[in-house]
Amino acid sequence: MTKISNISKLSETFSAGLWKENPVLRLLLGMCPTLAVTAAVKPALTMSVCVIFVLTCSNIVVSLMRNLLKPHLRILMFTLTIATFVTIADLFLKAFMPEMSTKLGPYIPLIIVNCIIIGRAEACASKNGIMISIVDALGMGLGFTIALCTLASVRELLSTGKIFEFIVMPKFFVPWAAMSMPVGAFVTLGLILGLMNVITRKNA
Amino acid sequence: MSKIIYFTKQSWLLIVASFVFGLIIAVTNSALSQRIESNQTKKLFDLMGQLISGSERFSREYENVTVKTAAGKEIKTDIYKAVDSESKTTGYAFIAEGSGFADKIKLVIALDAKAEKFLGFKVLSSNETPGFGSKISEAYFSNQFIGAPAAILELTKIGSPEKIDNQIVAISGATVSSQAVADIFNTYIDTVRDKLTKGRDK
Repeated sequence: MTKISNISKLSETFSAGLWKENPVLRLLLGMCPTLAVTAAVKPALTMSVCVIFVLTCSNIVVSLMRNLLKPHLRILMFTLTIATFVTIADLFLKAFMPEMSTKLGPYIPLIIVNCIIIGRAEACASKNGIMISIVDALGMGLGFTIALCTLASVRELLSTGKIFEFIVMPKFFVPWAAMSMPVGAFVTLGLILGLMNVITRKNA
Repeated sequence: MSKIIYFTKQSWLLIVASFVFGLIIAVTNSALSQRIESNQTKKLFDLMGQLISGSERFSREYENVTVKTAAGKEIKTDIYKAVDSESKTTGYAFIAEGSGFADKIKLVIALDAKAEKFLGFKVLSSNETPGFGSKISEAYFSNQFIGAPAAILELTKIGSPEKIDNQIVAISGATVSSQAVADIFNTYIDTVRDKLTKGRDK
């Protein structure tokens, strides 16, 4: 009996991050990478993989030391943990994907202050066991990936006529350069958020 | 004494974690730092190889050459020498930087073996407006620099980009970025040319 309730709780935690509590589209967390690195799908995907890695590792560590945390020092501990894994991710990118690393520039180190990760450490990992924390990190990370890639594919398609660097638009298509600039990020994000609200209101 | 015990009790986890995390980062860094460094020099040498045809090896010829910008700031750069398979000098290259429209522009600029002509430039890093300033790396603009005399360059708005001289035709819609590239050339050229020609007399 407990096993079944455990599994249902895990799957509930996982799916919450995808839709009901999607960090970008519902909670509006992590707006900095959402707006900054979604000019094309490739950097958006790289960013998402880094976030999933950092989120999972920090959730595991925070969950393991949750009983040792002093309440007034917890934010410091979270930041320290996150900063460690972000630095590791940054070094790996620099070593194995140097071009992507220069493209993403300061936005990889900025994952340290990404509210999704610190928010999950506070709301989930510091209160729950290791299994729930891992599943929560994967769900939230995947939700972040989906949001970023949706935004990035719309912007890349309209600004270059390509998706994932493959040409998909017909020849007469004139690229909208504005879509790869900040204005494109704000407009696309606004439209997607509006669409999300329409869908949830219809379902409610 | 009781205060020290209190502080240790409160913060022992933080102290231990700092050491452990610091150790993890140090290990990762020492494992990857060599690879990161070789990535950077490889990218630089790749760009230099594209600019200076027939070059086989690159070596640092002059270190920390000081260049004065128009604003009076001093920047340091290294000049690299390119040689072909018979160790004959094929050209020189250096990294140059200056402010563009949105952010700093970093270029690799190449000169021929006599330091009389430019062999063109490649963009090392820039953050210019996509569709406008980003065109500085496109052939119709950057080809104007290939073969141009190694002297002060001038930006014009009318003229033929095919004519190779010290007149550089700006990209329409991106005058600031075009001017920035010409300015970067102008900031460096006198110092670098003097250094190279003097070095040869000795």
